[in-house]
Amino acid sequence: MSASYFVRQQLVCNRTWKAASLLVPGLLICSFASAAPQPRRQEQHFKVQAHPVITLHNPNGTITVKAWTKAEVMVISNRASDDVEVDAEQMGNRVDVSTHAASDNVAPEDLRADYQINVPEDAELQIHNDSGEVNVANVLGDMNVETVAAAVDLEDSAGYVTIKTVGGSFQCTRCAGKLEISSISGNLRLTDIHSFHVHAQTSTGNILFSGEFLPNGLYRLKNYSGIIEVRFSPADSFDLSATSLKGKVINEASLTPKAHQQHFYSRFGNSLFGTFNAGRAKVELTSFDGTINILKRD
Amino acid sequence: MPEAEAIRLAQQGNAAAFERLYRLHNRRVYSLCLRMVGNTAGAEDLTQEAFLQLFRKIATFRGESAFSTWLHRLAVNVVLMKLRKKSGTETSLDELTEPDEESGGPRRDFGGPDLRLSGSIDRVHLQRAVEQLPPGYKAVFVLHDIQGYEHNEIAEIMDCSIGNSKSQLHKARMRLRELLHEATRDKAREDRKAASADSGGED
Amino acid sequence: MALMTCRAFLNDLRLRMEGTPSLDAEAHIRNCPSCRHITEDLNAIHSAARSWRAEEIEPPAHLWASLRLQLEREGLIRDDRGSQLELSNSGWFSRWFAGLPRPALAGGYLVLLIAVAFGFSRPANRQANEARWLEGTQVSTSPLSAQLTAEQVSFASFNDSNPAVTASLNKNLAIVDNYIALCEKSVQEEPQNEVARDYLYEAYQQKADLLAQMTERGENNR
Repeated sequence: MSASYFVRQQLVCNRTWKAASLLVPGLLICSFASAAPQPRRQEQHFKVQAHPVITLHNPNGTITVKAWTKAEVMVISNRASDDVEVDAEQMGNRVDVSTHAASDNVAPEDLRADYQINVPEDAELQIHNDSGEVNVANVLGDMNVETVAAAVDLEDSAGYVTIKTVGGSFQCTRCAGKLEISSISGNLRLTDIHSFHVHAQTSTGNILFSGEFLPNGLYRLKNYSGIIEVRFSPADSFDLSATSLKGKVINEASLTPKAHQQHFYSRFGNSLFGTFNAGRAKVELTSFDGTINILKRD
Repeated sequence: MPEAEAIRLAQQGNAAAFERLYRLHNRRVYSLCLRMVGNTAGAEDLTQEAFLQLFRKIATFRGESAFSTWLHRLAVNVVLMKLRKKSGTETSLDELTEPDEESGGPRRDFGGPDLRLSGSIDRVHLQRAVEQLPPGYKAVFVLHDIQGYEHNEIAEIMDCSIGNSKSQLHKARMRLRELLHEATRDKAREDRKAASADSGGED
Repeated sequence: MALMTCRAFLNDLRLRMEGTPSLDAEAHIRNCPSCRHITEDLNAIHSAARSWRAEEIEPPAHLWASLRLQLEREGLIRDDRGSQLELSNSGWFSRWFAGLPRPALAGGYLVLLIAVAFGFSRPANRQANEARWLEGTQVSTSPLSAQLTAEQVSFASFNDSNPAVTASLNKNLAIVDNYIALCEKSVQEEPQNEVARDYLYEAYQQKADLLAQMTERGENNR
């Protein structure tokens, strides 16, 4: 049986409630409390089974998701105003959370909610946050994050991660699994990566990749302008193709040139093709007029 | 369209609902089939067959188990039937055992270098080794170690006990260990031959 | 206390799988290199297989077409309404058909597909002159460019309820427009440059994506 929770907005004012029994002091305290804006905090818990799905739609705010060992999803929300409502519903093994305006005339700074969510580590996340921040740590399930201007920060993820931002930056540390990231102007920073499939694309942002090139892994980094920087270690093994149509390619890897070069990008721009060690992974770096740096890791 | 709604509409023959269910599960089923048979043509046929069976029987789905578990059970059965037909045998899962590995202690590898696997498992070799496993071992290994199912889920999918699932998995891993050691020894032998051929000397 | 034998250790390993070893089993591993090697090898195999776990492979696109044909033949499809897939939580790009005028934009999208196919095609005659390449690219992209420009005019005063979103979408639309202009210039200078053509087609795709988002927000804000 699935439970369904519907949250109504309430003004949390413990001091008011406790002081109700006092006369003048109580009135004084209450009037003091209501003069300053009060946080609107709610906490809900949902029991779930293995591999729950959590969806979150939020216009603006800070979202922090962490994994814990309980078979439960905890949602703590903080609304910026009474003009905003938070809905949290459970349908089977899925928890849907959304923020929406309660009236037609909401000031932009009020259309905001911050979330702190704890989930089982095998949870699947679908997050849509237009602006603010999204921080996710230690969640190993699949993830889809879409944003316009929010900065996205992942740590220790392991599933199939797809990130779409327009202008928000993306940072991923110690992530495994499969990563697909696209942005227009956001910077992408991937460090201590242990993933077999990385596809990262931004138009005017920079891309930094520092991690392992796993055997049979595929690593595609592409931008229009800006810097693509890849750091390798002597033990890595990859087949490299790097092309910048109008920019530079700077390389510190000792590559074995290919006997036959049939790559169709090779005729234009500044290109570099070759094999490092046994060439087990495939690394493709492409830029229109940016600089591509292939550097040794310190 | 949520999955529950897609199931309901698919039971009425709605095309978009069929497609929705296909899109939700096609990668997992195809990955399973590909890892079991080792080639894309076979995996495509099996994936199509699994979904066909699913859609033919969808009217009978009453929600007693999770839809994905039901689908994966169908897919595993389709794959196992195909593999058994190919091997010409009709053995049950419980009978799919190798010559007894449980007598005495672990095998002793005599001669040759210490061929430890840790840190040196090549994916190509592991894939080849998995392809050589008997169907029952392969199914449990793919479902547990690669696809990530728990033993209780495998027991439900393959209609066996949890203990049986664990036992088959252990045997699968032991067999893979032997196959990988053989591959490592073969490669070492070839490298030695190539080295002596280059130097013009004899072993 | 009797020490655990190798047979007992392997039996224990089989029963507990990835569970925590008992004290006896730990003591046996310390003293028995062979069983220790076996345990390490099995863990290595499990880890190697586990690294494939997140790798779900996409089947080829024709599989659904073939399946659907079979479903129709068997009469399992009885209701073809809404045959275009509607996804409740789909990505922005896959929703852009819903947001924009379908008949007009479908034509533009088809042109873009043809342009991409044209861009990746290998002309039988590798010595086709540059004018033909340029003409081919322009024939493919001009109608779409005009369509997207017309759509963009209607967003001249785009204003989302979230100022950060408004600013970001407008700024990035300008970035993509600049990107398109530079790519077009590059294609004009080197018509056979596949890299420049690829970037140009991707830029159009990004622009369509952005406009689809703005359309959707514009409708939601009415």
